[in-house]
Amino acid sequence: MSNFRRAQDQAHPNKVSTLTLAIIVVQILLITLQIWLLYSGLNNTLEHNQDVAIPALIASFFLFLACCGLLYFLPGRKR
Amino acid sequence: METKQYPQPPDWQRDFPYRQEEARLVTRREFSRMLCLISAAMVTGSGYVAIRSFWKGKSEPAGRFPVCGVSELPAGGTRSFLLPGSNTPYILIHLENGQFKAYEQKCTHLSCAVFYKAGTGKIECPCHNGWFDANTGEVVQGPPPRPLPALEVVVESGQVYVNGPA
Repeated sequence: MSNFRRAQDQAHPNKVSTLTLAIIVVQILLITLQIWLLYSGLNNTLEHNQDVAIPALIASFFLFLACCGLLYFLPGRKR
Repeated sequence: METKQYPQPPDWQRDFPYRQEEARLVTRREFSRMLCLISAAMVTGSGYVAIRSFWKGKSEPAGRFPVCGVSELPAGGTRSFLLPGSNTPYILIHLENGQFKAYEQKCTHLSCAVFYKAGTGKIECPCHNGWFDANTGEVVQGPPPRPLPALEVVVESGQVYVNGPA
């Protein structure tokens, strides 16, 4: 049975390279969002506004899961 | 048979090799994994902030504290002071309109000491050219992200008092 991994292994190296780069770009975007969440949470906490820190933590955690989940789609090593 | 010994390449050549197999490059796969580690660090940072936002650590001083006499501080003058049991520096400002204001003397950007610029109604942070409104403590210009924390000032029988932040 075919799956995405087999198709990925058979793809042209240019496509595989593009996919790898795309995953890295998305990961960088996710980390940028996390930095923004951390900055907002910190500033609001220092301003004695406690309503932001917990939602920022939860959102940051889900972004982390997404970041790790993207690793699954990284093309396999060339054997 | 005599084997020829090649000298070790110099450091610069080892840092910038021109043969592919000598290169110790970070692969994109490794870079991607490192991004996940950075992401985990961000979650840890957010968690720390969340814990600290609900953590009631060292209590702030509460109550009323005398700072100086009204006659001791001319209009446009300032006085730095500390509250008992706290290391946070504060600044008392006698504005030109006669009002007294007290603010934390730490810039909300990178904690540099701020100073009142007499005659302008503004408080200056000289480190990165940040400016605050001396009437409200709000940011007027520059990188500070938050207003200056203020203390309530009470003038009673010729004496200036501040109420602790707690």
